[in-house]
Amino acid sequence: MTLWDLTQGTSATISAFAGSIEAGYRTRLSELGFYPGETIACVMAPSLGAPKLYRVNNTVYSLDDSIASMIEID
Amino acid sequence: MPPSSPTKIALIGSPNSGKSLLFNRLTGLNQKVANFPGITVDIGAGRSLVDSSTEYLDFPGVYSLKAISGEEKLAVDSFDKALDTGHLDAVICVVDATRLEKGLIFALQVLEACRRHNMPLLIAANMSDVLELHKIPLDTHGLAAALKVPVLSISGKTGIGLEQIPSAIASATAPTEAYAPTGDIITSDDALVHRQAQQLAKQYGPKGDLLINAQTRLDRFFLHSWVGGISFFVIMYLLFQSIFTWAAPIMDGVESLLQVIADLVLARVPAGMASDFIADAMFGGIGAFLVFVPQIFVLTLVVGMLEDSGYLARAAVICHKPLRVFGLTGKSFIPMLSSVACAIPGVYAARTVDSPCKRWLTYLAIPLMPCSARLPVYTLLIAAFIPAQKALGGLIGWQGLAMFGIYVFGIICALLVTAMVSRSSAELRSDLPFVLEMPPYRLPSWRPLLRNAWNRSKHFVTKAGKVIFIVTVVVWLLGYFPNQGASLGDSWLGTLGKWIEPVFAPFGLDWKYGVAILTSFLAREVFVGTLGTLFGIEDADENFVSLSQQIQDSGLPLSSGAALLVFFAIALQCVSTLAVMAKETGSWRLPTQLFVSYSIFAYLAALLTYQLVELLV
Repeated sequence: MTLWDLTQGTSATISAFAGSIEAGYRTRLSELGFYPGETIACVMAPSLGAPKLYRVNNTVYSLDDSIASMIEID
Repeated sequence: MPPSSPTKIALIGSPNSGKSLLFNRLTGLNQKVANFPGITVDIGAGRSLVDSSTEYLDFPGVYSLKAISGEEKLAVDSFDKALDTGHLDAVICVVDATRLEKGLIFALQVLEACRRHNMPLLIAANMSDVLELHKIPLDTHGLAAALKVPVLSISGKTGIGLEQIPSAIASATAPTEAYAPTGDIITSDDALVHRQAQQLAKQYGPKGDLLINAQTRLDRFFLHSWVGGISFFVIMYLLFQSIFTWAAPIMDGVESLLQVIADLVLARVPAGMASDFIADAMFGGIGAFLVFVPQIFVLTLVVGMLEDSGYLARAAVICHKPLRVFGLTGKSFIPMLSSVACAIPGVYAARTVDSPCKRWLTYLAIPLMPCSARLPVYTLLIAAFIPAQKALGGLIGWQGLAMFGIYVFGIICALLVTAMVSRSSAELRSDLPFVLEMPPYRLPSWRPLLRNAWNRSKHFVTKAGKVIFIVTVVVWLLGYFPNQGASLGDSWLGTLGKWIEPVFAPFGLDWKYGVAILTSFLAREVFVGTLGTLFGIEDADENFVSLSQQIQDSGLPLSSGAALLVFFAIALQCVSTLAVMAKETGSWRLPTQLFVSYSIFAYLAALLTYQLVELLV
């Protein structure tokens, strides 16, 4: 499963990044709070494939499918 | 700190930490602020309001001192350089107290950099007014003790705690040891910094989910499948309506005032060349353009309100998927919307588009967005050609509808251009992932918004006004002599105009419009001024008739009016936009290409419009 598969109102723990993710993005996502072991909640999953909203601690980020599907969850 | 040269204090923080609002408070300056991450693009510098021997430097917001994009690298490098060269006397790291953990990850990096450079550091926990409002405590003393640097609770918006900054800076010292909560050796491991920040935020930061829950409730409304879609269109419609309905009474006021002044002045000046000059060049030319200043004020104010509210980031989410069809990204929405006020802030805002290809495509769209300088031309032509009648019991005005139509036309042109160009090469189709911070919703702070709108209008009057003044005077001189305004067609300008007449003759436009179009390549609004002057000279009996009335009386056909509208919707007639774009892209290549191709595009589209309307009407 990846972060993109999370439905609105559910949470999961990040297990790993996909091997194909660019190193720069991996670092940035980590700095934003998306790193293995962290619990992420999907606060909003708009319809029609729009980017979803994920909460990390007290901040909300919007990620589209291209990046959210590179973050693996348990 | 050296007492002689000014004390230089850097403000640094992650995007949307409210640095610029704080900077404006401290210096009384007017750095562009918006509730959207990454809006500060240059290093701002300004003297302190309370102590002129202190200078504050506002650095662009970065998420990390390890940059991953080109723009970020520029900002990080300039900060590093300032630290290395000993240019700075102290650093204030601004963190958003409502989202402390995110700010602390960055603050720990800054702490480490300051420790290495022996630089005094103060951490400013900004937006404490929000915490106070909800009675959520923040333990600044505990945080300061843990980090061994002073921590102040402040608000750039309300001014809370700002008076303590000078003394806190004066007593601040450089961090002597790296922060390590359990005594382990500090490593560069991202996860460790993260854990530390999380631990600190948990221990000293605001507790509870109150703020985030409120934000989520609003997000579920504004991003709801259909409620969100409808509210998006309602907000955009209100933005559009405000330009006309709110500004209209002020515009009428300015027009009547100018008329009163014109009558008063002209009654006191004997008939002759001086009175001709005052009537035609001053009131005809410059007055025609001053009428539109209120519209620019209202538009800037409303766009600023939207920027400040935090809604734009949600609009970017809504628009991401649809804009992708046209080769753009959701992040292109903000520069494109800013361009509705003016293309120049739009070009700057394009820096928030992190993918270089998408940014380049956004630059193609910006000059086609219906900017406020086009408004005077649109309003004039629509008033001249479209009857001021209402339909459906006053619900729809034909003039408003025509204005809406020409606005939509510009936006469609912009999207079609990016859709076609993005499909021309595989490189341009490639995309960077979309990651965007959702800022908290906020009530707009009126002072900076009003000031920004005021400055923009002032800029419009002084900057564009100067060009318009010079152009109208030159146009008047060339049009008045050698026969003292007896016959405009035989004047120097008439001779010159007839020489270029064949270029615009295919749209049914005479040489006067040709001259006005030519001068409008400096700035679009010059068109109105030039035309006002020319009609003024021609109109022998010096009645102060509105310019749109004069156009009507001149018998210009509807097909030519429509062609003019289309021409102005597309052509890139703005020297300032070209210059800013050259500065941003580092060369004149793109501006030159855009200028030439949009001029040809505008000409051909105007020709087609003329033929079509001629066929239909």
